[in-house]
Amino acid sequence: MLTRNTFLFALVALLMGACTTDPNSPGLEYMPDMYRSPAVEAYVDYGMDPYHFGEAQYDSLNHRLSARKPADGSIAYAGDVQPYNMPYPYPNTTEGYEEAAELKSPLPTTKANIERGKEVYEIMCIHCHGEAGKGDGAISKNGHIKGIPDYSGKLKDLPEGKAFHSIHYGKGLMGSHASQISQYERWQVVQYVKVLQNGGTMPEFDENGNMMAAGAASAEEATEEVAPEETEG
Amino acid sequence: MNLQSSRPSWGRKAIHGLVLLLAVTLTTSAFAGIFDEGDAANGETVFNANCAACHSITNEVVAAPGLGGISERWGASDELLVKWIQNPQGAAESGDPYIANLVETYVGVYGWMSAQAVSEAEIKDIMAYIKAGPAEGPADGGDVAACPTYDELQASDDNDSAAIWFLILLVLFVIIAISSTNIQRSVKNAHRESEGLEPLPNVSYGEAVRAWAWKNIVFVSIIGLFVTAYVVTVAYQEAMDVGVYEAYEPEQPIKFYHSIHVCENEVDCQYCHSSASKSKHAGIPSTNVCMNCHKGIKKGSRWGEKEIDKIYAAIGFDRTSGQYIEDYEQQPVMWNKVHNLPDHVFFSHQQHVTVGNLECQNCHGDVATFKGGRIAPVEEVAAYADANPGAGIIKLTKPTLTMGWCIECHNKAKVNVVTSDNGYYQEVHDRLKEGRGYEEMLRYMEDEKITVKDLGGWECSKCHY
Repeated sequence: MLTRNTFLFALVALLMGACTTDPNSPGLEYMPDMYRSPAVEAYVDYGMDPYHFGEAQYDSLNHRLSARKPADGSIAYAGDVQPYNMPYPYPNTTEGYEEAAELKSPLPTTKANIERGKEVYEIMCIHCHGEAGKGDGAISKNGHIKGIPDYSGKLKDLPEGKAFHSIHYGKGLMGSHASQISQYERWQVVQYVKVLQNGGTMPEFDENGNMMAAGAASAEEATEEVAPEETEG
Repeated sequence: MNLQSSRPSWGRKAIHGLVLLLAVTLTTSAFAGIFDEGDAANGETVFNANCAACHSITNEVVAAPGLGGISERWGASDELLVKWIQNPQGAAESGDPYIANLVETYVGVYGWMSAQAVSEAEIKDIMAYIKAGPAEGPADGGDVAACPTYDELQASDDNDSAAIWFLILLVLFVIIAISSTNIQRSVKNAHRESEGLEPLPNVSYGEAVRAWAWKNIVFVSIIGLFVTAYVVTVAYQEAMDVGVYEAYEPEQPIKFYHSIHVCENEVDCQYCHSSASKSKHAGIPSTNVCMNCHKGIKKGSRWGEKEIDKIYAAIGFDRTSGQYIEDYEQQPVMWNKVHNLPDHVFFSHQQHVTVGNLECQNCHGDVATFKGGRIAPVEEVAAYADANPGAGIIKLTKPTLTMGWCIECHNKAKVNVVTSDNGYYQEVHDRLKEGRGYEEMLRYMEDEKITVKDLGGWECSKCHY
């Protein structure tokens, strides 16, 4: 009797030790029914949940997406930026790319927009296009993707509509970033890309952060004056 | 000596040879075609700047057909090749049958190539570079050793397996002890028999132990006390681990390494987890996000083509032609969810990332050293905070993803209601300026900071509703 208890104790200790070290097991749960949501949540496989569904439902729900794609033609509603979520009119063809050159940014060029564009650029673009837009991001430096064009070189005169088109559909090896960057943010990124096309020189702003509407010649002088403060990295 | 004297003559010979070669080159190059006598080194530079985004110099399709062996297969004149590169549509209008065939075969699939601003001399160099072929050895990615994973960083002293061996030895020892007492008794009995004494009473093992324990009651009590204390401690620790998911790292359908993507290739967390700033969920990237890079990167540094092929199988991409397969039944990659919060608690990434401006590492640790998704144990996060004092990580002590951990942070995290630029705290800031709000603020500021707790971060209904 006593020996059997000893063995049992050893076995339990062994099992307890084993279940905490297996990285495939999340460990013990207390009252697991409180962990499972009956309301549908994203990233939950409801077929795996024995608490709310029986065997029959298990088969129909197992390995199915809980979050679904929006219906075709849906327009995202998000308050102020809703006008920017309208469908993009140009097709994903060479002709569409050329036509997109006429597209103009609906956003005014402001300091806040450019700064937000820089934030998004540093999340979404920098690992390929590089900090200064020279096409020398880490992925390019590591030799994985080559030939990324320089904004201030080959793409210096790229119109903003074409830049927007390229983010929306992708271009060459670059894939579409439409699912990651909203149209509003895309225009902000394009504003920052225009700064990079200009060699990183920021335009001149008035005290409200709006771009100064100055003549080309005087604006050039002005940017030279403020260049030491305003130039990015 | 011998070597020394022989060298100059060797060098002279080489120089003579070179001069001769150069002379021959110069005379022939005047009549050579576009595929002869270019400068391959310059060609590589020009190619990488203008062509490499879509073309490879082998037969591999990148975003357009590979150019390997173009000198053998180009079937039109040299002038047309130059024109085809500088102005493809213009070259197509020439009506050359070979160009017409190219247009028919490829333009429908890959689209028109944009006109390239390269000179004839540069095209010559490019052709020489293509002819020379890729350099020996594949272009290696970043220095793998510079980006170790967390388990490579840790000294691998395997305590767990040691404990198992200890248990096995203990069991063996007990078995030997039991069997040896039987042997001892039979030996003793044999001895007594030889001396003509009665054999010892045949007591069971349990009775023998009990008799022995009664005889040595003090010793047994002390041992018993230690054993009880040990069992209680272990049981308490095990009970405290219930509902704690630290170091949970389930196997995933694809051997994805965070260290390769974040550390080696410097991809931002929010590139793939792009909804972290906009939604409750940080988001698992869908396959199209993978393809933004892996359309071009077809070979991984650790598992080669095997793991990347799983992405292609999910989305329907043909690695040889570099094209998506039409009418393919796409399947999502079924990643295993790692960070599971109970249903009775509400958590939003947006609130913490966008409003709170927290670093991802604050909760997730040094993901740049991770392999798959993993819940960072709180000790690891604290060690990371010590190693990176500038990163703004709040040091915590309670196990990751437990409620103790949440409220510990809400008590420590400082809210900057004044400089926060996202407007979220504007209303709070206005109310704290005067009247009763001002008195409240003075109370908050007793510890010289306004914490999340001060603003209601410890209210039950903040997270449980």
